[in-house]
Amino acid sequence: MNDDPETLDQYVEDLLQDRKPERTPLPDEDALRARQTAAMLRAAKPGAGLPSKEFLERIQASIPQWVGEQSARPQPVARPSRRSLLLTGAAGLAAGIAATIGVDRLAKQTPPAASQALVTNGTWKPVKALADLPEGTPIAFRAGAIEGFLIRSGQDVKGLSAVCTHMGCILNYSKFRSQFECPCHGATFQTDGQPTDQYETPLPRLPSLNVRIERGQVEVYTA
Amino acid sequence: MREDESTAAATTFASPGKVVPLRQPDTTKDQDHLTWAYQTHVTAIYQYIYSRVGNRPDAEDLTAQVFMKAINGMRSDVSVPELRSWLYRVAQTTLADHWRHYYAEDIAELEEDVSKPLAARENPEAIQRVDALMATLPESYRRVLELRFLKGYSVRETAQELSLTETNVKVLQFRALNRAGRERGRTP
Repeated sequence: MNDDPETLDQYVEDLLQDRKPERTPLPDEDALRARQTAAMLRAAKPGAGLPSKEFLERIQASIPQWVGEQSARPQPVARPSRRSLLLTGAAGLAAGIAATIGVDRLAKQTPPAASQALVTNGTWKPVKALADLPEGTPIAFRAGAIEGFLIRSGQDVKGLSAVCTHMGCILNYSKFRSQFECPCHGATFQTDGQPTDQYETPLPRLPSLNVRIERGQVEVYTA
Repeated sequence: MREDESTAAATTFASPGKVVPLRQPDTTKDQDHLTWAYQTHVTAIYQYIYSRVGNRPDAEDLTAQVFMKAINGMRSDVSVPELRSWLYRVAQTTLADHWRHYYAEDIAELEEDVSKPLAARENPEAIQRVDALMATLPESYRRVLELRFLKGYSVRETAQELSLTETNVKVLQFRALNRAGRERGRTP
């Protein structure tokens, strides 16, 4: 059987409608590459590719459970080989996921307190020159494991995590509204990190980052 | 995203405030750290997978698989950078497995080079990759792909726009995707 325009278009239509394409075997590598290319093009459409609220809630609620189960077992000596991962049947996994992601467990988790830190054995990394920072307007940066904002006030600079304390999306700063806004579910935070949204359970504030100024360079402690 | 008015950070990672060691044996607090570390990566991994499979149901299934597999296979005293690259590695094997359902030959060569910097494999750059790919195509191929994928035109609308029959649009789309697929294979 050869690949043909009609079959390929069916695949394309599925992508464009956000439907799961049928997983029928393909005749050759060209057919596979054409579909992979279609998927890549589909994902490049502006606005495509953000996870839905429902999905984020399900998986964010499942992760603590999976971590709990893992910690309860004896620690593996080494990481599983690629082979052992592949041998785990996809069907089995899917069933496990369906069972694990229970609808009743949705989004009741409160994220860990803001004071907890993940940086261990970090180092100070220069991210910006103080002279390049505008007064009062948060500037986004990424340094090592940290995504954050730097906010200058005179000769002082404060650092805030740019990760939304709701579901972990990266916040944008709106100059017009002078606040941080989450592209995923619309959570908002003041420039001092305080949440300003109307969630049922108040969100934790944005964690502060360790920032110092060395010879005119703003440095952030990061892993 | 409101690119025009916002300062957007490119990829996901979090790291809150004070610096405390992560490596303490099996306390509840430790589990919270680990949970949080995984949770902050969900959106980035989802976007990475979505940019490879191009549809929501597959991206959701595969993302959930990646986290299940990654959490299962990782020590609980993992450091943050290790966790990050481990998640991407699991995502790659999961994607390879996904495509193997379509075409069972060994497609190892289609997989990406894990040693490349992470930033080059994440979402904002996906658009640049598409631009670069489009630039290699003849005008008529580029046009049909732009209309279908970037503007989301139906086959009928594309046919009207290009003054072609619907059958011709599908043939043109077929040739364009096959050509682009070969180009992509050549320059990853």
